[in-house]
Amino acid sequence: MSAASSISAAPEIFTRKASGLVRVMSPYSAFVYNILTMGLIFPWTYLWAPGALPGGNLFWGIILATIIEIPIAFAYVWLSTALPRSGGDYVFQSRVFGGGVAFTVVMSGFVIWILQWVALSGWLLSYLGFAPLFLGLGATMANPGLSALGVWFTQANGIIVVSLANAVVAMLLLVSGFKNYVRIQHLLWWGTLLAFGVMFYILFSTSPAVFVERLNAFAVASGGTADFYATAKAAVETAGVNLNPPFSLMATLLVAPIAWTSLQWATYSAQQNGEIKDARSFTNQTIIMVGSLVATGVLLAFLALGLERVAGSEFMYIAGAGYYALVGEATINGFYLWPNIIAVALAASPLVVTIIGVGYIFNSFQIVCNCYIGMTRVLVAMSLDRLLPEWISHVNERWHTPVNAHIAYFLASVPVILAYNLVPGWVGLTLGVTFGCGYVFVVTCIAGALLPYRAKSLYEASPGAAYNLGGIPMVTIMGSLGGILGTIMVLAFLLNPALGVLGAWNFEAFPTHLWAQIIAFAIVVVSLGIYAGAKSSQLSKGIDVQFAFREIPPE
Amino acid sequence: MFSFLKKALPQSTTRIFFATDLHGSERTFKKFVTAAKFYHVQILIMGGDVLGKLAVPIIRETSGNFRATLHGRVQRLTTAAELAEFQDQVGVLGFYSSIMDEDEFLAVRADPAAVERMFQQLALERLQSWIELAETRLAGTGTMCYITGGNDDYPEVLEALNRPDAQCVFAAEDKVLQVDAQHSLISQGFSTPTPWHTPREVPDAVLGTMLDKLIEQVDDPTHCIFNFHEPPVNSTLDTCPQLDWSTDPPAQITRAGQVVLFGAGSKSVRSAIEKAQPLLSLHGHIHESPGAVRIGRTLCINPGSEYGEGVLRGCILNLSAGRVDSYQLTSG
Repeated sequence: MSAASSISAAPEIFTRKASGLVRVMSPYSAFVYNILTMGLIFPWTYLWAPGALPGGNLFWGIILATIIEIPIAFAYVWLSTALPRSGGDYVFQSRVFGGGVAFTVVMSGFVIWILQWVALSGWLLSYLGFAPLFLGLGATMANPGLSALGVWFTQANGIIVVSLANAVVAMLLLVSGFKNYVRIQHLLWWGTLLAFGVMFYILFSTSPAVFVERLNAFAVASGGTADFYATAKAAVETAGVNLNPPFSLMATLLVAPIAWTSLQWATYSAQQNGEIKDARSFTNQTIIMVGSLVATGVLLAFLALGLERVAGSEFMYIAGAGYYALVGEATINGFYLWPNIIAVALAASPLVVTIIGVGYIFNSFQIVCNCYIGMTRVLVAMSLDRLLPEWISHVNERWHTPVNAHIAYFLASVPVILAYNLVPGWVGLTLGVTFGCGYVFVVTCIAGALLPYRAKSLYEASPGAAYNLGGIPMVTIMGSLGGILGTIMVLAFLLNPALGVLGAWNFEAFPTHLWAQIIAFAIVVVSLGIYAGAKSSQLSKGIDVQFAFREIPPE
Repeated sequence: MFSFLKKALPQSTTRIFFATDLHGSERTFKKFVTAAKFYHVQILIMGGDVLGKLAVPIIRETSGNFRATLHGRVQRLTTAAELAEFQDQVGVLGFYSSIMDEDEFLAVRADPAAVERMFQQLALERLQSWIELAETRLAGTGTMCYITGGNDDYPEVLEALNRPDAQCVFAAEDKVLQVDAQHSLISQGFSTPTPWHTPREVPDAVLGTMLDKLIEQVDDPTHCIFNFHEPPVNSTLDTCPQLDWSTDPPAQITRAGQVVLFGAGSKSVRSAIEKAQPLLSLHGHIHESPGAVRIGRTLCINPGSEYGEGVLRGCILNLSAGRVDSYQLTSG
């Protein structure tokens, strides 16, 4: 057939038949991807906040975090429609600020800090997936062997084995082809959603009157004390925890940074923009990012309501003290009282235990996959920009995937997995990931705010250029607002010890008590050093790495 | 910056910039020409698909104002400045624009042959303006620019590249060109059949014959640059979704709910590279599959394309004595 021209379905446009780019990921898949990345299972808010922030309101703290993330998500919507390419933050920042800033910020805040997330996902899989599954099955089926297996999954050896296996399986799956992952993502999505729905149903349908009785029965079946609730309550009160603190506005505000640990990932699909169909569509990107954020924020907030409804606020402080103040009596056999274990205890049904356990296993596995997917793309982009060795961007001819990047990221995660489970205090860096990734998001928001001025032609060619308020581009308004709010969140982690080790500044016996801050600072310095070294090395070969990002003036 | 590069590179090094699949984008072509000075290269190579795919009629209304549709939105243009700005915006995206009365628009829309003629005329005008721009900007710089067509380009329009008075901008297709004292260049813009049935497609075996004839004319393939629009099959430079050819437009094939990806490149191109083992093989065609791979000793490059965003994707290459000393994918 010869080249024919035809009239498009769209009015008043002429198109001719020509080949073109086709993208793989549907907007719906990207929406699902973001929700799973935010992790409906992330439990920190429900134990950390009551333990560290007495008087804080979980529901409103989560809603506040959702509201704070909205302008950030909108800044990403604008950036994604202007630059619908894979690589997300690295691409956005390098386009506006150049390679030095982009490489240093993304390498330190994302690539290195997210290694901790790989370790965390293994911990989640073992501790919140396998352990409750076997503990629950052991309790509901009166099988001590299963209960013992459940306990093994809460111990360092069990978690390390599961974490390494988790990382290896994810690596192999993704190396075998992105399509295989996307296929499994549907299973992970429905499994997670079913588990969350069942948990919701149990928390909202169970009478509060039976809560103590069922929790005690579950504790006994799991090898705990007979009068668990009363024992735990007495121990927590003895430890000096106030079980009925008055409402605190400041504590409620500080719940938001903890909830942000989940909600800050609403924009993670930007890493895959190059694979999303109609990624230039404003509506699509808004649904993908802002829509997934609001959906997840509301679900997490209502989970807090459900927990408080069935267990009461007094119990929330007991469970929080078990986790945050390390009151052993407020744990079941050393197992913290996460929302899923509460639902398992209340249901007392092997089927429900299985559904919730499998759902948590699925979502934990999804998280490690997301770490690999996002970070290997960033590594490949950096390698193609000549800032990392060439072999990292090598794409395997058989599987069409960057095998070396996956192997490199897996090998880098092994020492972090070991440290996470064996080095005392290392787990305190968990919310450091929120800090590290938080400053990446902040810099990207600023890049969004400056996009109309630093990359004028790019911005003007984007669909978002049509939106202004009082003559000021909306992306500038959203980016500035998101940057300010994000900075407040990041500073909260640096300044408040209730939010983790980064906020605990103790200069006594320097530098012993400042190891976390030193690590956070060193990560940035090392990243900057890699950039400077790569730039110098490439220049000797006739390559100026700045050319990878610098826009050519058309005139 | 450039002084550093000059010091780093030996005198015998030839510095090349390659880009492809601009699809009519005014901004990316201007960037392509400016790239010579910006990246400090001596040779510019364009890998095909230079013509646009979409035309926006700017309709003159009875009131004297204009209306046009872009990104699905109808825009009203009331001043000359707005009109110029809109035409510029359309050009950035790689689209053509044509001012016409309401009656003329309706007549063209009703006649597919008229649409075809309109596209060819607009494409020719733009290509001629590009050639003129490049000749003007590159004059006296010593930079040579070699352009080939791609499968999407009308053969009649590509004829505009063959000019007896060419100084800096040369048609490269189906020729052996000496780009410096040591290296030659051969170009071929045809592709194997696509679901879109574009103007310049041939069966893979025919493409293989065309390539063989061209390669036979090269004295030393190991010092030759291949500039073939279609990438080698299953090279990772050709990965894209598999499409159903029976629908219009072609639809993605899904299996178990997922899009099926495959290598859409040419067996003949791969075979030619494997046999001749040139120092470098430049490709385009599959926008979504940029990268660099080696087939034997040959470095194969597909820089991808983001013409629609006004971004010029390309690759800088430093060559000397039949070797690629270094290369860098760019996003300008």
